Amino acid sequence: MRPLELRDVTFTYAGEQRPALDGLTLEVEKGEFVTLLGENGSGKSTVCMLTNGLIPNALRGQLAGSAKVFGFEVREHSVAEFATRVGMVFQEPESQLFCMSVEEEVSFGPENLAVPREQLRERIEWALELVGLKGYNDCSPFSLSGGETERVAIAAALSMRPEMLVLDEPGYALDPVGRQDLYRVLRDLRDRQGMTILLAERDAEELSSFSDRMILMRSGRVVKSGTPKEVLKDAESLRSMGVLPPQLSEVSVLLNRRLGRSDLDFSTVAEAENAISGILSSKRRGGRA
Amino acid sequence: MTAFVDLYTEGDTFLHRMDPRVKILGVVFLTVLALIIGNLYYLLTLLAAIGILLALGRAKLSKTLYALKMVLRVMVLIVILWPFFNPTGTPVLFHYGIIKITQPGIIKGIAVAIRIACLASVWYILMFTTTQRDLVRALVKMGLRFDFGLALSIALRFLPTFGAMVESIRDAQRARGMEFDRGSVFKRSRKYVAVLVPTIVGALRTADTLSLALQSRAYGARKDRTYLRDFSMRTSDYAALALFGLALALPAFAKYALNVHI
Amino acid sequence: MIPRPIGRADKDFFIVARDIKYSYGDGIEALKGVSLRIGKGEFIAVVGGNGSGKTTLAKNMNGLLRPTSGSLDVAGRPSAEMTVAELAHHIGYAFQNPDHQLFSGTVEEEVRFGPKNLGMEEQEVEKQTEHAIAHMGLQEYRQVQPLTLTLGLRRKVSIASVIAMDPQVILLDEPTTGLDGREIADLMKCAVSLNEEGHTLILITHDMRLVAQYARRVLVMAGGRLILDSDPAGVFSDLEILASTKLEPPPVTVLAHSLGGFGIPKDIATPEQLVDAIMRARGGTQ
Repeated sequence: MRPLELRDVTFTYAGEQRPALDGLTLEVEKGEFVTLLGENGSGKSTVCMLTNGLIPNALRGQLAGSAKVFGFEVREHSVAEFATRVGMVFQEPESQLFCMSVEEEVSFGPENLAVPREQLRERIEWALELVGLKGYNDCSPFSLSGGETERVAIAAALSMRPEMLVLDEPGYALDPVGRQDLYRVLRDLRDRQGMTILLAERDAEELSSFSDRMILMRSGRVVKSGTPKEVLKDAESLRSMGVLPPQLSEVSVLLNRRLGRSDLDFSTVAEAENAISGILSSKRRGGRA
Repeated sequence: MTAFVDLYTEGDTFLHRMDPRVKILGVVFLTVLALIIGNLYYLLTLLAAIGILLALGRAKLSKTLYALKMVLRVMVLIVILWPFFNPTGTPVLFHYGIIKITQPGIIKGIAVAIRIACLASVWYILMFTTTQRDLVRALVKMGLRFDFGLALSIALRFLPTFGAMVESIRDAQRARGMEFDRGSVFKRSRKYVAVLVPTIVGALRTADTLSLALQSRAYGARKDRTYLRDFSMRTSDYAALALFGLALALPAFAKYALNVHI
Repeated sequence: MIPRPIGRADKDFFIVARDIKYSYGDGIEALKGVSLRIGKGEFIAVVGGNGSGKTTLAKNMNGLLRPTSGSLDVAGRPSAEMTVAELAHHIGYAFQNPDHQLFSGTVEEEVRFGPKNLGMEEQEVEKQTEHAIAHMGLQEYRQVQPLTLTLGLRRKVSIASVIAMDPQVILLDEPTTGLDGREIADLMKCAVSLNEEGHTLILITHDMRLVAQYARRVLVMAGGRLILDSDPAGVFSDLEILASTKLEPPPVTVLAHSLGGFGIPKDIATPEQLVDAIMRARGGTQ
């Protein structure tokens, strides 16, 4: 069963006029690393809240269309039922961690599921190891850095052994290096554990090398879906949709236009250097570009 | 900024190992005991006994005194003021107009101060040998609903966070020219609206997200949830409980049944 | 590299810090002797990791914290002689979390709050409020409850409430956190126009793309010290500093550096600039 299958979903938060999701259709396949890109208000957080039934169970509103998570319609099941399949990480770690030690935090989820004591310990160690926080068991949340706090939030979701991990703007409070470390952890999870990853972000800069697929959203709809290269190709329309395109993608688009080409497409500095050196050397040699 | 309520100090003494429920009950018994004893010398004995317990728990003198700062100030105030407000008995030591000071008055004042010291230090013993987590767990085991226990843990955990937030909000408003230390008391309290509103809004936002996070982690899914760290009564715990019980029962019996003046 | 103006007296500068140190109550020394001079009309970015002291430095400037040693002059006077409220008239500090400042019933009331506190005449308060609201493009939201606005707008309100105090220096603490591309461009446009009006802009940020594109001067903080004070090109060329502070120049700048052999200048900050430079190097008239 697909981790996520949304067909023609419309959702309006209680008390709002405008629908947050407007006839949205998208799917996420097992083991994919998918990034939802969109400006503030595009509906990407709303999609995240659907993945584990928070919408419509905890966040009230009118939901129309079919929203299936691992084959189960979200409106027909409780949030707790999805908790073993979908792990959710919210925007600010400080607002979702409430225990006095890392260990307590990570064991909270499985404790709620009445996991026996011996297995609790196993799960905690497993989750902490996966996020690179082995040995942090007794650390107090006040002693952790921003990146470490984020990873504790992830471990706290992982200890319930979900098949899909959903993160709503996890890079919010992190600096670029912290974000890259985070994405690396997520990609490792996908590679080693076969975890399906769904990530919502506003800034595409660092994500193109980590995602399998990107879904561009606007006003509650999917505008484009495809590989990072495909989606990030049109830097101008990305900008008009409020998403920051990766700088190198913009360079390739602009160069293509100025040179009357359409084949330039680089996502790393090395690729770009090669391609551009080629262009500039051939011109120097007096040959045709 | 660590929790100022978190007085817990690591250690491996018998007090640290004692079942938290026994500690809570023990502290309650000793509190009642301190309240029913009136005689200064018996109170001093009780304080000495509590002092021994503190030492057995390896409490550091400097830390203890620091935590009990406020209490010490109150004690000094009481010793000084009590005789003025309770000039009963003889011998009278000083009499000028309405001001009258008697020896029993002074002694009573000191006794009340010592009683306060007993109360504060006995609760301090509980706080510095028990983690917040164990305290809440003990209360839940003794009958507090799990939801309330969780709410209590969350409140304790977020105290320093909200403390820092209030500081930040005050700073933000000061950076807009708001001066909190000027003006009449009335004006000053009105100024605090500028701190109160953002604080409440911030707290509510956090509560919102936290509630979603808790639900996402299956909070409330089953009634039979398990616990990573748990404790159960051992023989030594029952023995300690019995001793605490006797420590209260015997003097209480003496006072109320046998009319012994304590 | 922009040549540092030599021979200018301290009194020509708006903020002069001489070896300021700051230690928190628990003994941690957050600033270990920082000296710098900031003039009017500059556009400065302050960068550095967590714990580098950049926020501590900012708070020392507007008086929320006072240096434990060294001297700090603002507008020609020692900052020690001025209260936080007086300093607010010279240095406006917009906090990273706008929700820490918003509490009024309408945007207009919120923006008026600062100038009113500073004891400005009603006429002046009106004028400054109008000006601030216009500058940040908030006219249509005047009567709206600030807390009901989106994050981008709330941040603009908080910045408006700071500029309404008409300070020379406007200090923005991580103003682009949580904003999407459009909102960032909008905000930076407001910042640039304030700078063009003559205000000094100080931007605390970790987004190197912003630093490259907007800042004319960069202060790199690490371990409580100011380890580099230069223009963006100077900072992005200093590989040692970059390695030790784990700061990464924007991809376009890294690319520009690696293409240096073809005559591509090093101070490239945006894709457009790079492509222009490549076309020029190619020599074509495209």
